[in-house]
Parts: sequence; structure tokens; C-alpha cells
Amino acid sequence: MSEPAQYDVVIVGAGIAGALVAKRLTTAGLKVLVLEAGPDTTRSIADYTSHLETFYAASAKGAESPWPPAEAAPQPDGGDLFKDKSLPANSGYFIQNGPHLYGSTYTRTLGGSTLHWLGVSLRMLPEDFEMGSRFGLARDWPIRYDMLSPYYEQAEHEMGVSADVVDQRYLGLRFSESYDYPMHRVPPSYSDRVLGAAVNGMRVMVGEDSVSVQVRSYPAARNSIPRGSYQPVGALDVDADGNARRSFLGERCEGNTACTPICPVQAKYNANKSLAQADRRHLTLRAQAVASDILIDKSGHAVSGIRYKRYDDPGSIQHTEEIATGRIYILAAHAVENARLMLVSGLQSQSKKVGCGLMDHPALYVWGLAPFNVGSFRGPQSSSGIEDFRAGRFRTRHAAFRFDIGNDGWHATTGAPDATVNDAVLKQKLVGQRLRSHLEDQLPRQVRFSLAVEQLPNLKNRVTVDPSNRDKLGNPRPVIDYEIDDYTFKGMIAARKVALAVFRQAGITDCSSNAVELPFPVAEYEGEKFYYHGMGHCAGTHAMGDNAETSVVDEYQRSWEHPNLYLIGSGSFTTMGTSNPTLTLAALALRTADHIIARMRKHNPGIEPGPRRRKETQRVNPG
Amino acid sequence: MSVSRRLETFVAFSAEVTAFTPTEVWGTGLTQRYLDTVDGVVGTAMTDALLNAFDRITTQSAGERTAKLRQTVFGCEQLGPVARAVVKLWYIGTWYALPAAWQERFGPAAQDGTFVPTPDAYVEGLLWSAIGAHPPGAKAQGFGSWQFPPGIPKF
Ligand SMILES: Cc1cc2nc3c(=O)[nH]c(=O)nc-3n(C[C@H](O)[C@H](O)[C@H](O)COP(=O)(O)OP(=O)(O)OC[C@H]3O[C@@H](n4cnc5c(N)ncnc54)[C@H](O)[C@@H]3O)c2cc1C
Ligand code: SF4
Repeated sequence: MSEPAQYDVVIVGAGIAGALVAKRLTTAGLKVLVLEAGPDTTRSIADYTSHLETFYAASAKGAESPWPPAEAAPQPDGGDLFKDKSLPANSGYFIQNGPHLYGSTYTRTLGGSTLHWLGVSLRMLPEDFEMGSRFGLARDWPIRYDMLSPYYEQAEHEMGVSADVVDQRYLGLRFSESYDYPMHRVPPSYSDRVLGAAVNGMRVMVGEDSVSVQVRSYPAARNSIPRGSYQPVGALDVDADGNARRSFLGERCEGNTACTPICPVQAKYNANKSLAQADRRHLTLRAQAVASDILIDKSGHAVSGIRYKRYDDPGSIQHTEEIATGRIYILAAHAVENARLMLVSGLQSQSKKVGCGLMDHPALYVWGLAPFNVGSFRGPQSSSGIEDFRAGRFRTRHAAFRFDIGNDGWHATTGAPDATVNDAVLKQKLVGQRLRSHLEDQLPRQVRFSLAVEQLPNLKNRVTVDPSNRDKLGNPRPVIDYEIDDYTFKGMIAARKVALAVFRQAGITDCSSNAVELPFPVAEYEGEKFYYHGMGHCAGTHAMGDNAETSVVDEYQRSWEHPNLYLIGSGSFTTMGTSNPTLTLAALALRTADHIIARMRKHNPGIEPGPRRRKETQRVNPG
Repeated sequence: MSVSRRLETFVAFSAEVTAFTPTEVWGTGLTQRYLDTVDGVVGTAMTDALLNAFDRITTQSAGERTAKLRQTVFGCEQLGPVARAVVKLWYIGTWYALPAAWQERFGPAAQDGTFVPTPDAYVEGLLWSAIGAHPPGAKAQGFGSWQFPPGIPKF
């Protein structure tokens, strides 16, 4: 290359993966450009509040409702799933070939999908990294739990995760000596405690194993009471020049019951908090810049630039085209977009596996009425789970699963409380005192479990692109093939059985088994209908492995074919396990950042050795 | 009815059908806004018909009022769906579109549809205090409040 590169590192996407890497690289003195497709409307309190108002005013309050996309950077929406009744479903952002609908979504606004995530921050189990050698399924990861463990600790501190280690030592999860989370656990809800008192220690048979059930507080990226000198990061207030003003909002979770879709006080982590901690002297952030393709140099291997389309007005697709150059390139646009970018650029990889192996945690809801008032609709949307079925010998035959125990009544399942009010007023014809008493009696007893079921990487489940189907900016839209297999269906059956046993033990009346015509995607297995929903856990589209024949990236998420290209995020997951993916993808991102710093240092000793040290800019000579 | 009398009657009617006190209804700060919403959807003439029907029974005992309301308002094919939409509006803050059958017979109601009249409407929904909770994303109850047994206010 003749022209010197503009930056040391160009990152596509300012979600959590991109933000963590940007923070670490700039702190080491590397000059970083971040290209972000969405608008920069989430970093000042005034802007953030306008998203909150959008949410208040929305009559359908789905996960994306506070975060409407720009014309130039469309995103999938839960509502898309029901616009088309037949396949291929083509009316949203995704083109869905089926046979099953892919139910997950993501957000294309500065800060990414952590703007509306729930904040569940579980580690993967040691055995989740070894599905091949332990269960003869899929492949092992190229790394093991103990290799990632130090990075889990760092990620828990970067994101501000609240939990007590004493609760989290189960099914082989181990922590380094004297380690504890940066903040005490978020207090479990009253309903968690009541449920725990009724069911803890009960035994359920799964296959040949008798499993003891425990209601357990889960680690959450929501601010709680700090341990030691840890400083929780609350709401951001960054002005137009990028200066952060001190804000005291959000240093504790207030129990707004709205982590998804928007935490009003930002007590819940979002990626902008990490980006704000990057060293601004070395960071250039370019919002409203949609990467459109990856350019390769004459050698046919090294990336020479990223072409992107920059727009001025989120309501218009007027744009100009520019090229960003760096010595290293990182795709951090999330699983579907990373694969899409590779494929539109003709970068299939030697293994031909780019886009293949798309996963999620297809999840079922089970809901019922508790025998007495358990105080639903208060606190975080959930604060505990049942984790005892994340591991077991049954994994040779069917998927593992975990339960999230809701604090928000039947909100997610039937649309309560609105639906409960509608039903009472229209169908039961209640008004006045009788209406009020009825609601008082019913709503605080509503209980909901989400049963998130593991999915294996099936190469037929994939993201492709069809050049004849483009978004308004002219970028080809993602085409999705997706099928839930027997392994997962059998896991769903087992999960539902366990959930109903827990309900019986607690005296909760099941109201879900006979529910029909639910507003969720549906799949049939052995004559039974499963209404499932996506968890937002898109993964597996550029899986890591230990060779170029079977995988897209190596253990550092570096492309096998393109030595200066990294693809980061849950797209790199070899298998999925049952944990929500973000903590793991954050740990992987930090590991990649350290690897890049070490690599750059070899060529230029001027780069700061590690994170958290500051020095004046060291200009890095373009190689 | 004078403008102020109209608003007072709307508040009295709203309190009656929601089982909240007039003070609580006023306290939402949304009374005029909601009256405008109803006027906007079904027109002032029909709103007046609803308010007049209620005005005629205000001096009766609570039991008689309930019975009369059932007969003349909730049992009325024209006024019933409108009154029910008002109940839901107060409870949840969303105006729900009137039933298709109503639209066919008594419509068109130009501004009908399902909508939230103002962001405050969601925040001030009466339902939440009835169940000892708060609207998700607003009026949070404070760190750790959720670990304690729930309290439902007596009315
Ligand atoms: C409703 C919901 C709840 C969730 N809850 C949890 C949970 O409790 N726990 C958990 O672990 N996970 C949860 N998730 C998943 C979590 O949100 C994601 O795993 C995580 O945000 C992914 O991080 P990322 O940085 O890889 O991608 P993202 O956060 O999606 O960020 C990607 C960024 O790249 C940008 N981008 C995309 N395309 C381009 C382009 N072409 N050019 C430039 N920029 C681009 C996007 O605008 C975005 O800012 C949830 C997801 C959803 C939808
Ligand atoms: S419960 Fe509320 S305050 Fe707490 S993190 Fe969630 S939205 Fe924020």
C-alpha cells in the first residue's frame, strides 16, 4: 500500500464489543476510528430523555419502541414477524426463508443492542466450551473456561455487574481466589423469595438424573451497592463536543421495571458508558456512517479499507461515500451484520462458513397465577433464575435450558397489564369498584417464567445476502434460513415439564398450557405446537475454531484468511451454551484487544503495554 | 353545559367508573387533555350525550347510580363502547380504537385509532397505584423496594 493508513485501527460498530475494544486500544495509545451506523442520540441526558418520551408515547411498547432506526440503517423489529403470514417473510428488515422464523432483533443506534438489553450477565459453564469432547456434539471451542476466566473478571468490572460469588459457584463455575463481583447482588424480589421458599430443594427427574431446584439470584449489569472502592457508572451526559458532565443519576437501580426496552436512569449498563471512558485524544467517533463493504488489497488477503456511507439526516437517505483506512480492521457490528458485511464484500472464507451456524436461545413462556399476592410488576423485570438444568448428562440427547423468573407479571406473554384491563372491561364487562378489585386481585399474582433453550450450530441455519434485495441505502438486506432441530425441541419439552412441576410445587395455577393463537412464532414438533420467541441472542455466524478448514476466526477472533481483520462478538461463538451471550462476548473482546496491543507493540515498542495507563500520544508509524 | 361544568362532570364520571376519587383524577393533570381526546374522537355532541346521561343521576345513591349507569350508559350500544374506552384510558393511558361494529353504526369517528394522547398519559395511568406498583420506566419505587412484601392502598 502506498497511502499511509489514517488510523491504527478501524472499528465498525459502537456496541459493547466495539466500545470495549476502543476503550482499551485508545488507552494504550492506539489511534482508533469507530464507524457507527446509527445516530449519536444516546449520550446526553436531553437526547436520552427524548428516547424515553418516545417509549412513553408508543402504543406498542416492544423492545425497539424507544429506538426507532434511521432510514439509512434499518433494523429488525419484533413486529415484523407478523406482517407476513407466509414464507419467505419479506416485509421487515430481514428476509426470512424459514422454515421457522428467526425471532431475535438488535438495535442500530450508537450504543447498540445494550440500549435495550436486560442485563443478565452469566458466565458460560466450563463444560459449554467442550461440547465436542464431552457430548460428541458440534465442536469444542479453541479456548477453555480457565483461559477466559481473567477476562470474565475484567468484563464484570467494565460493565458493572452486581452479584455475590457465593451464589454463583454451581455446575463447575469457578472464580479466582478472593474474587468477588464489583457490586453486591441486586436484591432478589419478594416473589423470588416466596417462590424460593416453596420450591428450593425439590427434586425433578431429567433423563436419569434427579436434579435439585434452586431459585438463584443472577449476575446483572445493573448498579447496586458497590464493593470496596468500586465506583458505579451512572447516566452519561456527554455534550456535543464530547465532554462528559458529571451526573449522579443511575448510580443505583431504582426498580424501574424497564431494563428492556429502556432504563430511564441508566443504572443498567449500556455500551456508551465504556465508549465515554476511551482516551479521547486517540478516538475518532463517526456516527451516521454505515459500513457498506470491505476492500481487499492486491495480495488478495489484507484489508485495505472500509467503504462507508455517511448521512446527515436520520430521516433521509442522502449520503456521501467515503473510505476509512487503518492498519487493523475490526468488525463489531453484531453477528448478523458482521456476516452480511463479509458476504457483500465477497469474503466467503476458505471454510465457506461465513454466515453459517446462526444460533439463538429460542425460548418458551410458561405463566400462571400464584395463590396469593406476590407483588408482581415491581423491581427489575427479573432478578433470579433457575440454573440447575444448564448442565447434565442429558446433554447428549437434548438441549440444556435455564429459566428467567419474571417480576413483571404476564407483561411479556399476554401483554399484561393492558391486556388484563382490556379483557376485564370488554369481555367481563367490569367497571368501577368491581373492575378495580378484580385487577387488584389478579395482577399482583401473575407469575411468568422464560425458558431459554440451547441451540447447536447447524450449518443450514444461516445469513446470506441477495443483491436484488436491498435496503433504502442500497445495502443488501440479510436473508435468513433458520430451523429449530430435534435437539432443541426435546430440550423445550423437558424445560416445560420442569417448569410445570415447579408451578405445581409452588401452588401456581398454570394459565399457559391451553393458550392458543399467541403472538409469537410457532413451530410444530411431534404434533405439538411450540410458541417460541427470540432472546436477542444472535450468534455463531463467524465461529471460532482451531483451523481454517472448519472455522472463520481463530481464538483471538482474527480472520484466518485476512491477517489484519478481526470479527468480534457473539458471531464468534463455537457453541451457545445457555448463558446470555453478552458477558462472554465482552470477555472475548477484551482478550482480542490485549492481543492486538501485543501484536502492534511487537512492531512498535512505543505502544503502551496494557490497559489503564495513560501517556501522551505515541504516533504509530503505518506499516 | 358551561365549559367548566363540562369538565367537572367529566371528572365526576371518570371517578365513578374507575373507583378512584375525584382528587386522584384531578391529580393526574390530564383531565382536560382526556376530555379533549374524547371530543376529538367521537365529537362534542356525543361526549355531551354521555356527560348529560351521567349528570342526570349524580344526586342518586351509589347503588342507584351503578344500576342507572349500567342501563343508560354501559348498556347503550352507542355510549357503552365510548364509556369503556374512557375507563381504559384512565387506567392505562391508551385510547383503544372503538369496535368495528360501533364504527359501522355510529361512525365515522375521524380521529379514532389506538394511541397514547401524551407521554404523560402512560406515566399517570391509574392502574399502577391500584396494584401497588408503578408504570415500567417511570415513578420507580427506589433501590431494593421490590424485596419487601407488596402493599396495596386501601380505598
Ligand atoms: C430484547 C433483548 C434483550 C437482551 N437481553 C440480554 C441479556 O439480558 N443478557 C445478554 O447477555 N444479552 C442480552 N441481549 C443481547 C445483547 O443485546 C447483545 O448480545 C449485545 O448487545 C451484542 O453486542 P455487540 O456489540 O456485538 O452488538 P450491538 O450491541 O448490536 O452493537 C453493534 C453496533 O454496530 C452498529 N452497526 C451495525 N451495522 C453497522 C454497519 N454496517 N456500519 C457501522 N455500524 C454498524 C450498530 O448500529 C450497533 O451500534 C438482549 C438482546 C435483546 C434484543
Ligand atoms: S430495574 Fe429499572 S432502574 Fe433498575 S436497571 Fe432496570 S430499568 Fe434501570
